[in-house]
Amino acid sequence: MADFKINHREGEGVYVIELKGYLDAHTAPELENAFQRLLNEKKFNIIVNCRELAYISSAGLGVFMAYIEDVRKNKGDIKLTNMSAKVYNVFDLLGFPLLYEIYKEEKEALSKFKTIQKA
Amino acid sequence: MFPSPEGKFFGITKSEANTAVKPRRREGISPDSLPLFEFSNVVNSSLDLQFILSTVLLTTMGKMLVAKGMVLLRKEEHRFEVVAAKGIDQASFPKAFSIEKTPRAICKVDKLASSRLPWIDTFVIQNQKLLVPILSEGKVVGLMSLGERMSGTKYSAMDTHLIQSLVNLSGSAIAKALIIDQLKEANRSIDRKYQELNTLFDLSKEFNVGLDAEKVVRLLTFALLGQVGASKYIICLRNHSTLQIVAARPNVERTMDPLLEQLCEIRKAEFISDLARQKRFREPGVLLQQKGMTAVIPMQMQSQIKGLILVGERLRGGNYSKVDLEFISSLGNLAIISIENARLFKEAIEKQRMEDELKIAREIQQGLLPEDLPHIQGFEIAAINIPSKQVGGDYYDALARSEREFVIAIGDVSGKGTPAALLMANVQAALRTLVPIESSLPKATAQINDLTSSNTRGAKFITFFWGILDVGSRTLRYVNAGHNPPLLLRTDGSVERLEVGGLILGIIKTQTPYQEGSVRFQSGDTLVMYTDGVSEAMDSEGRDFTEERLEVALKRYANLPANEIIHRVQQELETHTKDTPQSDDITMVVIKAL
Repeated sequence: MADFKINHREGEGVYVIELKGYLDAHTAPELENAFQRLLNEKKFNIIVNCRELAYISSAGLGVFMAYIEDVRKNKGDIKLTNMSAKVYNVFDLLGFPLLYEIYKEEKEALSKFKTIQKA
Repeated sequence: MFPSPEGKFFGITKSEANTAVKPRRREGISPDSLPLFEFSNVVNSSLDLQFILSTVLLTTMGKMLVAKGMVLLRKEEHRFEVVAAKGIDQASFPKAFSIEKTPRAICKVDKLASSRLPWIDTFVIQNQKLLVPILSEGKVVGLMSLGERMSGTKYSAMDTHLIQSLVNLSGSAIAKALIIDQLKEANRSIDRKYQELNTLFDLSKEFNVGLDAEKVVRLLTFALLGQVGASKYIICLRNHSTLQIVAARPNVERTMDPLLEQLCEIRKAEFISDLARQKRFREPGVLLQQKGMTAVIPMQMQSQIKGLILVGERLRGGNYSKVDLEFISSLGNLAIISIENARLFKEAIEKQRMEDELKIAREIQQGLLPEDLPHIQGFEIAAINIPSKQVGGDYYDALARSEREFVIAIGDVSGKGTPAALLMANVQAALRTLVPIESSLPKATAQINDLTSSNTRGAKFITFFWGILDVGSRTLRYVNAGHNPPLLLRTDGSVERLEVGGLILGIIKTQTPYQEGSVRFQSGDTLVMYTDGVSEAMDSEGRDFTEERLEVALKRYANLPANEIIHRVQQELETHTKDTPQSDDITMVVIKAL
């Protein structure tokens, strides 16, 4: 079975989750736990770096949907970065660019959070 | 569609999203001096419809010195969409509108204005003067409109001829680009289908290993959010007879349950708006509309509705199509199979566990019964115990206390299964401990009662009869603690009931001492002890065998040997109950004076 891994990084009030491998119905609960933990810890500025994300299924996308409202309600956001063309295609097909900020590079998302924090 | 290399639509914000998500179109080339052949080269070397149309529009506007113009493309039979507009405030203008009786040749807006075509006003308001049909393979695929010429002069025949030539020159390029667009759209719809299939595949794989209804429902919600894009949903499942909401976003109050129950009469996926129009679904339909629900999809297994999925508005906008509902249907049916499997699996395990427990109970109970009956001089003794499937907690005992004295006992514990068997073990242990001790029967009974009542705390009880048979005096001293009175059949045909004793065991610590009864055996007398499994053995219509009928039978067989009496009664019981499953243990002990 293909694996899936989540790494965590934190700095300057922004929390970065790095996804690695296959995010499907089988591994979706892991991402769910990761988001749930961040919410419990009141960390609402979240960047999901998809550089090493090889595959995402609809169930994986569903996890993003399940948490975005709670995060935004707390004046935070989930921003997505560094997607491969293949992964972006799935996001795009299902209309996610309308709902999420998607950046090429993590630092763009980071600076976006920072400008908001300053303001 | 992946972002262009410049990454033009990375970094969009939500408010910008609508415009930013589309790749930014290149502006058309406009110099009005562009020679026709060059124009032709430019448009024909492009496959970008937007670019081609913009170029046609700008070139024409340049040549004719026009400040306002637009291009519309036919999207459906009568629906045209604005794809390029110059000098026109698009915010004040509909993006798409219906155009019927499209002109097939260049014509003046003013002339059509009197034709009462409803759509012409849109062009009149924008001060458009000329309508140019865009033809491809003989079909009108679009429409270009041009405003007033800045020179103030009207469009001459030469002008319209030139305009028509420009449009005609780009005709094949437009046709090509249209096909490319269609292919792109077809490709994307294949991609979408592929993604749907992937989702089904992904979930079915996971559902199969899941075997946990809660997890299945969770994954189902992810798919609804991720694939379908439902911002609101309610999932309910049938648990035995009631429909229960197992997941909802946002949360809904449980009072919805009966309303949802009404929806179980639907046979296929339905839009709530359609249901709200039907009389029998009006109430749930209207309420669900208020809750923002758009469609209801039944979860079916073997054409039975095992649950419902309700979905509300889509996060990315747009309505649900029939195809969307079909997809949710597949998703739901897939999920319900795993949920049902999980339930059946759980039930099977539970059943197995109960059977294992009953097996233990049966083993305990059988272990408590005496392996061999003692040989009692001058008497005959026989006994039988047929445990029911659930193990009722019957007990009998017969053992020698001394050479002259024998203890005979029979009892029935309330309840069934292991708890009953364990309590019976308690009584048996107490009895066996007390038997060798020189103590009166009433005292010993009180002791057993005190012991069991402190163990059961009044939650269980035991009907109990025991006695000591003295073979020398041929008397039986006994105490009956609430048990069915044993019947003593005398040779003269009379029957005595052995009732002396006291309260059943296990209810309360002994308050009133137990009384002792005594009977003396004559040769040929038969004592029959039994439990209510005999007198209350039921036939298929729920009728008891009854004590009266037992007495009649016993009188008939009283002359037979002890084991034969048991055998005959057993036969009568079988005749009475026939195939009705035995609901309680059947126990009998027969002692006959020789």
